[in-house]
Amino acid sequence: MSHLRIIKLVLPVIISGLLLTSCFKDVDFGQSEDISLEPDLEVDLLFYQLNETDFLDSETNAFTPVIRDTVRLEFLDDDYIQDGLMYAALRFKHENKFPYEINSNIKFLRENGRGEFNVAYTIPPGSEFSSAVVDTTHILEGNNIVNLRRSIQMVVELEIVGANQSLQGELEFMSKGLFRFEF
Amino acid sequence: MQRILLVLIFFVTIICNGQNRPLLYNVDDLPQSLLQNPGARIDFTRHVGIPFFSQIHLSAGSTGVTAYDIFADDGSDVNQRVRNVMRDITAGDYFSVNEQLEILSVGWKMGDRGYFSTGIYQELDVFAYFPKDPAVLAFEGNANYIGQDFDFSDANFTGEVLTVYHAGFNFKVDAKLSVGGRLKLYSGIFNVESTDNEGVFRTIETPGGPNFYRHEVSGLNVTVNTSGYASLKNEEGMTVDQAAAELMSRSLFGQNGGVGVDLGFNYRVTNQFSVNASVQDLGLMFHQKDVENYNYFGSFQTNGLEPLFPELDNNEATIPYWDIFEDRVDLSLQDETTNNAYTTWRPLKYNASFEFGTGKSILPCDYLISKKPRFMNLFGMLISGVNRPKGPTYGVTAYWDRKVNDHLRFRLAYAVDEFSITKLGFMMSSRFKNFNIYLAANDIIGYTNLAKANSASLQLGMQFIFKDL
Repeated sequence: MSHLRIIKLVLPVIISGLLLTSCFKDVDFGQSEDISLEPDLEVDLLFYQLNETDFLDSETNAFTPVIRDTVRLEFLDDDYIQDGLMYAALRFKHENKFPYEINSNIKFLRENGRGEFNVAYTIPPGSEFSSAVVDTTHILEGNNIVNLRRSIQMVVELEIVGANQSLQGELEFMSKGLFRFEF
Repeated sequence: MQRILLVLIFFVTIICNGQNRPLLYNVDDLPQSLLQNPGARIDFTRHVGIPFFSQIHLSAGSTGVTAYDIFADDGSDVNQRVRNVMRDITAGDYFSVNEQLEILSVGWKMGDRGYFSTGIYQELDVFAYFPKDPAVLAFEGNANYIGQDFDFSDANFTGEVLTVYHAGFNFKVDAKLSVGGRLKLYSGIFNVESTDNEGVFRTIETPGGPNFYRHEVSGLNVTVNTSGYASLKNEEGMTVDQAAAELMSRSLFGQNGGVGVDLGFNYRVTNQFSVNASVQDLGLMFHQKDVENYNYFGSFQTNGLEPLFPELDNNEATIPYWDIFEDRVDLSLQDETTNNAYTTWRPLKYNASFEFGTGKSILPCDYLISKKPRFMNLFGMLISGVNRPKGPTYGVTAYWDRKVNDHLRFRLAYAVDEFSITKLGFMMSSRFKNFNIYLAANDIIGYTNLAKANSASLQLGMQFIFKDL
């Protein structure tokens, strides 16, 4: 009978006590403010594959040593870039089969056309059977990241050196960005 | 025989895990057992619930993570803890919240062998699988997951608020068998569901391709169905309080209806040993009013933008590559909002148990009493489950049910489910004359520190129960 009394009295008291005193211990929910999203996004940027016809005028067939094009990268103006972009590694790779040096200048411009930064290098001459490769990465971090945040146009400019109307070859370009965010 | 039974129990306990709510099941002197199994054996002749207080049920759980896992106050980096959780948690882990509030509950004996019960309750049920792949993509990005798929089917959730009107009949076929059924009319207040989603996002390396990678969204087909939401959304400037008040105003007669049944039986194999089973909420909800469906579908792939070096005059604008790219995206990956009616299954629940009684009670010495003696100790095992979008969740509970006397009864339970393998439960039901009050709590250990608990559930209520002999 004494066991029964223990069960009748003590157990409900213990259980009720547990329920009434239950709480969240050993945690600090204030840390929720410190939680940040830090995604690293690998994103393709521009690519092109050029041959000799791209350096010749389509109407006169005249040799054009310098060609350029501009691509707007509207995503650079989005809020998540403006607010959260902390680091960027821009990788540019050229493979040259033209037997001439090519000067590449990749420029990032503001909306008004003012330059923010550029990546310029010379691509050595290649051959039909062997490409000359330039593979470079441009890092933007710290204070420099604002240069990318302010940019919205990417200009790719090529100058082929010492060639003439009878040039032959190919030039391939690949580019990508590793964008590191912190939200 | 006992050894075989023990082995069977152990085996079943190991292979099954899941979600259950067993503490009121088979409690023959609580009307709430009829909501679990309309064919349950009962030990009362009338009941009247205290409106809004005859059953308050709350349960919440998370299979893959606890509050402590994220917010532990141990000086370590909270973002590292989040990353650890993201690594360990799977797309099969889930979060669930269930709430039931009994508004009305009455019942009375009909004839010698029947018992009619009816009532109204309001229910909220939210069930969401952890959207692992979309969460990893948002939290970590794609850089470390080149070549791997991010699967949109991981986005899988349901949520509903409804009022249930029900009427059930329990019938004692003979001394061994009792059966029962309950008809339910559902009145939907709010519903959202997004299941059976499809599609992947991937970034793959393309050696020999035009660029370093190819980004693909393949076979995207994501739908979010809602009912009872569009009218709230369209109310400009509505505050959360106003939205809650609007939902409350719909609580008795919602805009969308449904119908379902509960079925169950109890069979006494011997005087001491009985088996029983039930299904609850075998029913459908028809969402026809205030419906809005959000659909996202299509496929798209890109290697980036390709400048064409056009021959331009000095003042001529270049090709709008970005606009063309956006147009391609918009054409390939579309979203549309429709108002198509849809139908949802209610989460079907099923229970099966056996029970063994020992220690016969002593009845008053009165020749008018035709009742059979009850057993003071009941040992039982219950397997219960709930149908969810990715398959049923199971739980197994073993319990000792002790009728201390005619006024006090308690149950101790041990359960294994997907939340915990050490789930201790306690139920106590007490009667003062005809007034009954009960309290049941599952995962008692978790209550000592809810931050480390994967789940917690609580049922309590009060009512008048009459046992006219």
